Order: sequence, then C-alpha cells, then structure tokens
Amino acid sequence: MSAGQSQDEFIARRRASWKELEQLLVLGKELHRSAPAEISRAASLYRSVCADLMRARAQFGPDVVRYLDGLAGRAHNLLYGTRAYRLAGLWELLVRDFPRTLRRRWQFFALANALFYLPFILGMLGALASVEFAETVLPSQTLARMESMYEQGFYAGRDVHEDSQMAGFYVLNNVGIAFRCFATGILFGLGSLFYSIYNGMVIGVVIGWVIRAGHGGNILTFVCGHGPFEQTAVVISAAAGLQMGWALVKTDGLTRMGSLRAQGKELGHLIVGAAAMLVIAAVIEGYWSPSAAPPELKWAASGVFILFVTAWLSLGGRRRRGARPVGARPEGAGASR
Amino acid sequence: MSSAVQVARGPALDTTAQVETPEHIRFDYPLAGPTRRALAYLIDLLIRGGVLLVVGVVVMLVDTATGLDGMSIGALFVFYFVLDWFYYVLFETIWSGRSPGKRALKLRVVGQDGHSLTVLDSVLRNLLRAADFLPFGYSVGLVVMARDPMFRRLGDMVAGTVVVVEDPGRISERLHLHPPPTPAELEAMPARPPVSRQELDAIELLLRRRGTLAPLRELELAELLAPLLAERMAVSYQDPVRFLGLIYARALGHETIAPVEQPHPTRPGGGRR
Repeated sequence: MSAGQSQDEFIARRRASWKELEQLLVLGKELHRSAPAEISRAASLYRSVCADLMRARAQFGPDVVRYLDGLAGRAHNLLYGTRAYRLAGLWELLVRDFPRTLRRRWQFFALANALFYLPFILGMLGALASVEFAETVLPSQTLARMESMYEQGFYAGRDVHEDSQMAGFYVLNNVGIAFRCFATGILFGLGSLFYSIYNGMVIGVVIGWVIRAGHGGNILTFVCGHGPFEQTAVVISAAAGLQMGWALVKTDGLTRMGSLRAQGKELGHLIVGAAAMLVIAAVIEGYWSPSAAPPELKWAASGVFILFVTAWLSLGGRRRRGARPVGARPEGAGASR
Repeated sequence: MSSAVQVARGPALDTTAQVETPEHIRFDYPLAGPTRRALAYLIDLLIRGGVLLVVGVVVMLVDTATGLDGMSIGALFVFYFVLDWFYYVLFETIWSGRSPGKRALKLRVVGQDGHSLTVLDSVLRNLLRAADFLPFGYSVGLVVMARDPMFRRLGDMVAGTVVVVEDPGRISERLHLHPPPTPAELEAMPARPPVSRQELDAIELLLRRRGTLAPLRELELAELLAPLLAERMAVSYQDPVRFLGLIYARALGHETIAPVEQPHPTRPGGGRR
C-alpha cells in the first residue's frame, strides 16, 4: 500500500472499467446474443478485472478483493456460461452415446435385469400356484381390482377421453418409478436393489393373478406393446442406480465422491436414454395398448418394438466396418468433460 | 479437471470455493448454505404451484367450455410431470445455472471445473433430488450438505456442481478522517512516521472497517497498536483511532485522506448491480 499505488488511487483509476463491466452484467443478456463489439469488449474488460483481482489480492484489503472476486466470477459465468445446446446433441446422445454406455457397462444392465425378472417370474409362478402367496404380496382388494380391470379386454377400445387421461397418468407413474430406481441407487445401490425386486415381484404377482383368473390373454396383450420400452427403461434406470452405488464401494483409488463423480457422464447418458424410452412407452401405453386393434396386430407390433429396442441398444453407436470414425471420441474418454 | 474447485484448506473459517479458470485466474466464490438454498427452493416451489394452479384452472375452463369433456386432463398430467421433473433442468440450462428462486437469492449452480453446468449435469443433479428428498423434506440432502465442506447435496456430488452466491459486493469508500485533520494535528506528527509496511496495512484494515465495528471494539483494537507507536514517536494522543488515522495520512505522504478537496468521489453502495 505504501509502495506504489494506494488502494484508493487504484480504485479511482480502475473504477470506470469495473462499472462498465457491471453495466454489461446487469443487462443479464446471454452473451452470444449480443453484438460482436460488446462481446469482445466484455472479454477484454473481464481480463483486466482478473488482473486487477490478482493485484488486489497481493496488495489491497479484503473488501476490494471481495468485490473483484464477485465481479470476476459473474463476468466469468457470463463469458463462459453460454454453452450452445442444440437438439442435434440430444439426438446424438440417444442414438450413439446411450447405447454405447449401456454396452460398456453391461454388467450392471445384466444384474438389473436379473433383479427385476427373477422376482417377476417368481411372483408370477407363485401367484399361479397359490392364492396365499399372492395375498401376502398384495392386498386382496388390489388383486380383485386388477382382475376386474382386465376382465373385458380392450377389443371394444377404451373411451378416447379416458385414453388421454391414462396416458398422462402413466407417464407420471412410470417415470416416477424409473427415476426413483435410479436416484435411490446412491444409497450404495440398496435403493435400486429394493425397487427392482419389489417392482418385479408386484408386477409378476399381478400378471400371475390375472392369468389365474382366466384373463391372461387380456393383460398380456395389453402390456406387450409398451412393455419392451417401459420395462427396459426401468431396468436401465436401475442399472444406472446400481452403477452409482457400486462406484461408492469400488473406488479405484479415488475418494468416494471422486469415484461417484467419475460416473457422472455415463449416468447422464443412461438416464436420459431411459427417459426417452419412457416417453415412447407412455405414448404407446396411453393410446395403442388400450386401443381396439386386434390382438394379432398388437402382438405383431410388439415384435417390431422388441426388434427396435434390441437394435437400438445393441447396434446404436457402433462404427460401420471400414468407416472412418469421424467425430468419434476415443473410447474410455468418459471421464473427460 | 474436477480438482479445479477446492475448499481453501487450513482452518476453514470462510465457506468459499476457489475456482480456477483456464487463464489460471483464481477466484473465491462464497458457497451457498442450506438456509439460503432452502429459501430458493421454497420460491421455486411456490412458482411451480402457482403455475400449475393457473394452467389447471385454464385447462379446466377450456375443457368444459369446448365440450372436450376431460380430454385435456391427460395433457395436464403430462404438464405436471414436466414441471415436476424438468423445471430446474429447463431454467438451469437457459439461465446457466439459475432457477427463478436461485436468481431471487443470487445463487448460481456452477460446475466444479469452474465452467457453467451442462445439460447432463443439470439432469443428474435434479433427478437425484429424489434421493436427497428421502425420507421426507430433503432430510438426506441436508445431512449430506452439513457434512460436506462445499455444502453439496448428493445430486451436486454426482453431477459435480456447487451452488455459489453471487454477491455483487461494494467498492470500498475512500478513507477519510472525520473531521478532517487540522494543520495543528498534522504538525504534531513526524513528517515520516517510523512505521513499517505491516503496521500501515494493519492500520488501513482497521480504518476500512470503521462503521462495521462497534465503537468500543474499534477502540479496543486501536489500543493494541496506538501505545506502541506513540512510545516510538514520543508523542501522546487522546483518541487512539484518530491517532492511527493521522499516522496513516502522514505516512502516505499526502493528506488526500481528508475529503476537503475531493468530496466523495465514490458513493457508498455505488457498486450495486
């Protein structure tokens, strides 16, 4: 302070620049929508403020440092904050990154499948074999309601008004289940474990029960359309949850948080992919599954859906033989951002 | 790269996170604590509730008026779902890290590498609200936050984000003595007071904190240094704070410390947004 400029002189000299930068910040406009001259002015002002900050930290009091910290921070967010987001990016994520990540971490997908389908089969066989078993899993009123729901079948088609309501309700319900399956995986995977088994068991018992009541054709024809998308999405969410939980257990020399963080990008791919599948499932479940289309057509469609999902997940993002990997990121670059 | 944000080590007095930019500039962000974030959450909750209410009423009215008869209820469900799961993702993406509630409380989500958060980060941190919320009212999130030096909830940890406070702060006012030093007072001081750089820095810090310190505290702090300097200069004083102020004015070699010729070039609070 005694050497060179005093803080007051420093402030007096630089103040105009700071004010100018503040003016640009107050506009709050996304920078990429500003005039080119304004952008380069903001960038140069930001750099000068950074230099001022370094100087202030070395020489001046905490008040001016705090002010410049805040100013530089806000300017930094303005300059570096606007990242282009485009729909093409989402498309690439869905057709390329999502299936690739799923295949790279296939162990979790396999485990999640087992955690859903084994209880599912167990529940279905159990409900077929014994009334007591079914009534231990679900209250008898619920079972009775399920039974009456599938009594008539959908050959007459449901009311179109009802369809719209149902579609909305299914979206809510299924996405809720899937996201919970994922999010609770952070409890060392236990949440995903629980929700998968529970979900599989309940669905298995319901289907077993309805088959037992003699309406098996109705319920299976109903679920065969959206099932391939919906259950796969829920299983993928659970797989992402298990991956997250496992990262807390096996840290590969990182801290637990660092290990968790390293999964972030892959988890994002999986969960966005699952969400997209759920949207497709909801549309099918709301409008196609309860429609008056004949069962043969529904089963044919189901075959197409299964083929589609299988192709998407197993082929998406594979390089064509002999094709140059244009724009392809090197494998294993998952941790870089 | 994720190591770019770190909490200042040593005795953690301040809750700040350091962000290092590609230019190797480091700045300190004040981290947002649970209270502030809870308030922002409440605002967002109210906004979502309000929007849902308004849209719901409008949909119902349109529905009955046009005889759609329940047709749009499904659409309302979908709208509710989108609002519930993607409200934050939407705003954090288009406003680079700020929801309306965060904006109101001057909060911003930033990535740990000092860059703005990406869409994927936003999706992750907001989906994981479902885990932070458990078993009710963000209990898990609160406990995790309380144990984390950067106040991150689970969603922040997985997405690699922190919530920071963007306080515009203020440019400090020019130092001045009240009332201005009289020629007699300045005469009583040596033209070049025998004080070290460190001592001058200490005096300046004290003078700049005037107005934020209670008078007695100010006196107490001044009394730590004033007697030593008085003894060294073989002078006496009455008011230790004023005595230190005079030394400071004299040591800088210019008496602009008195705002006689330059009345208030800076306004207090002039630095606000």
